Amino acid sequence: MPWDLDNDRPIYLQLMERIQHDIISGVYKPGDKIPSVRDLALDAAVNPNTMQKALSELERSGLVYSQRTSGRFITEDETMLKKMKTELAQQHIRDFFEQMHQLGFSDDETLEMMQKTLKGEKQ
Amino acid sequence: MRPILECQSLTKKYGSDYALFGVDLALGRGQIVGLLGPNGSGKTTLIKLINGLLTPTEGRILVDGQAPGVETKKIVSYLPDRDYLSRHMRVKDVLAYYMDFYKDFSAENSSRMLDALEIDRKARLSSLSKGTKEKLQLVLVMSRNADLYVLDEPIGGVDPAARDYILQTILTNYNENATILISTHLIADIENVLDRVVFLSAGQVTLNASVDEIRTDYGKSVDTLFREVFKC
Amino acid sequence: MLGKLIKYDLKYGAKIFILVHAILLAACIFGRFFFLDHLDFGRTDSIVVSSLAIFVSVMLFLYIVVCFCTWLIIAARFYRSLFTGEGYLSWTFPVSGVLHLWAKILSGCIWFFLDCFICAAGIILLVTGSNVRDAYFAIAPEVTEYFGMPPGTFASVFFIYMLVSCICSVISTYFCIAAGQLFPSHRILGALIAYFVYSFISQLLAFAVLAAMRLFPAGAYTDMASGIDAARYTLSIMGVTLIIMVAVSVFQYIVTHIIMKKKVNLL
Repeated sequence: MPWDLDNDRPIYLQLMERIQHDIISGVYKPGDKIPSVRDLALDAAVNPNTMQKALSELERSGLVYSQRTSGRFITEDETMLKKMKTELAQQHIRDFFEQMHQLGFSDDETLEMMQKTLKGEKQ
Repeated sequence: MRPILECQSLTKKYGSDYALFGVDLALGRGQIVGLLGPNGSGKTTLIKLINGLLTPTEGRILVDGQAPGVETKKIVSYLPDRDYLSRHMRVKDVLAYYMDFYKDFSAENSSRMLDALEIDRKARLSSLSKGTKEKLQLVLVMSRNADLYVLDEPIGGVDPAARDYILQTILTNYNENATILISTHLIADIENVLDRVVFLSAGQVTLNASVDEIRTDYGKSVDTLFREVFKC
Repeated sequence: MLGKLIKYDLKYGAKIFILVHAILLAACIFGRFFFLDHLDFGRTDSIVVSSLAIFVSVMLFLYIVVCFCTWLIIAARFYRSLFTGEGYLSWTFPVSGVLHLWAKILSGCIWFFLDCFICAAGIILLVTGSNVRDAYFAIAPEVTEYFGMPPGTFASVFFIYMLVSCICSVISTYFCIAAGQLFPSHRILGALIAYFVYSFISQLLAFAVLAAMRLFPAGAYTDMASGIDAARYTLSIMGVTLIIMVAVSVFQYIVTHIIMKKKVNLL
């Protein structure tokens, strides 16, 4: 299945996000070898050079490291993974509050609604 | 490194009409390039010039540093946008035909792809459906280990499933040193597999940029940009 | 590469060629053993004459059809493989234009030569029955005088003349088809026009040269009655037309080459 990609943002950014997401959600475990550029590109139905660029960027951020002969691996640095997870969570929260603002809710109102919802679910 | 394809003020006239006018273009190795433009913008003329099916009126066209001829034909694998195989031939005859004339044709690759498609080697071409024939032609072209692949409208008249198959075939058989030039007007379908796009309009190059550059600079997809640039 | 090109050219029409020529040879064998061998040339009644006339016309028609089929195979192969969709593949093989042209000329000549030999074999088969030979020997001196040489010699000369004209007609055919390409929207019509223009001009040329050499009209040539002069007359006419034919073919070859190199734009 080709990956679901947006039309208006650079493709390599979206590929990076997708791989990051896969790492956080546990598709890839720390220390796992990730598939070759070619296989990933085929899987995503994207240009191999673009996939290469996405992986290089991930490598630069330290999330992925490469071993000269045997390929690319997910970092085993747990603190880094945790940090990235937190960052991503914060990003989602900021986006959520942004949307709530657009709907006309203040932060307090939003928080209140969230608590109500959580309680409602517990009943 | 020497560009695999280079055009220097390339001009082609039919009678008094300019099909191409002063095209300057250089494409490096190892990329998949989309040649985009509305009908009549000169895409097919450019492709015919690359393959030596036409001669330039003015300017030069170089494939791996040489004018089109016997040597360049050895390294260019070309998919025309129409049927080019005799209806009377059988699939196995066509394979033998390619093997005889192209040293870089890999029988192994072609068998693998034909097996996946379940194409009978004994079938006559006249008995194949339009879609199967287009796939067969693509298999033949992609079974060569060429330096430059020129695909003229490879996804033109096929259904979406076949389109996915064709894109997969292109990606699977693509090697890092080769360049693939794909002409099409169905941009949305192939945008993700392209490194770079060249817009051709009324015989001139109006844009030559990487897909991600376009998305970063314009904040929109190549398809959207194309629709805006070539709005009727 | 040349060998491979020729191989595929020959493969293209092989089935039809073999079929048509098998029919011709079968007709010859049939005609020889079931018709000619039973004829008594001593009788001169109208049944023998008219049946022979019908037989000869049927065979002549068959020969024309066979030759036309051979020509059609040659013309169709040239047109199909270089100027239709198939041209997209042929022209992108790593082969030069000259090599394509030579492959087509050689394969065309091979078809025509084979055709000539099979046709000649058919004729030999038809006329070698003892009754035909006896009948012929009775009129041999007259025929020799008419041609100015023994018919066997004339037939040999004529056969060589045929072989050369085969080469020329192959080239002419290609020239016409290639010239037709210069009229992008009427390619076949263009080829036909090229054919009429070319044959008109070469006829005109032949008449002019023959007239200049006082070989035409025949009356201008003196002493037609004498056998030796008749031979000389026949041979010189054949010689002159042969030279003109070859000259025209060389010209056509050059033009065809230029068209194929510069002017072709496949549909």
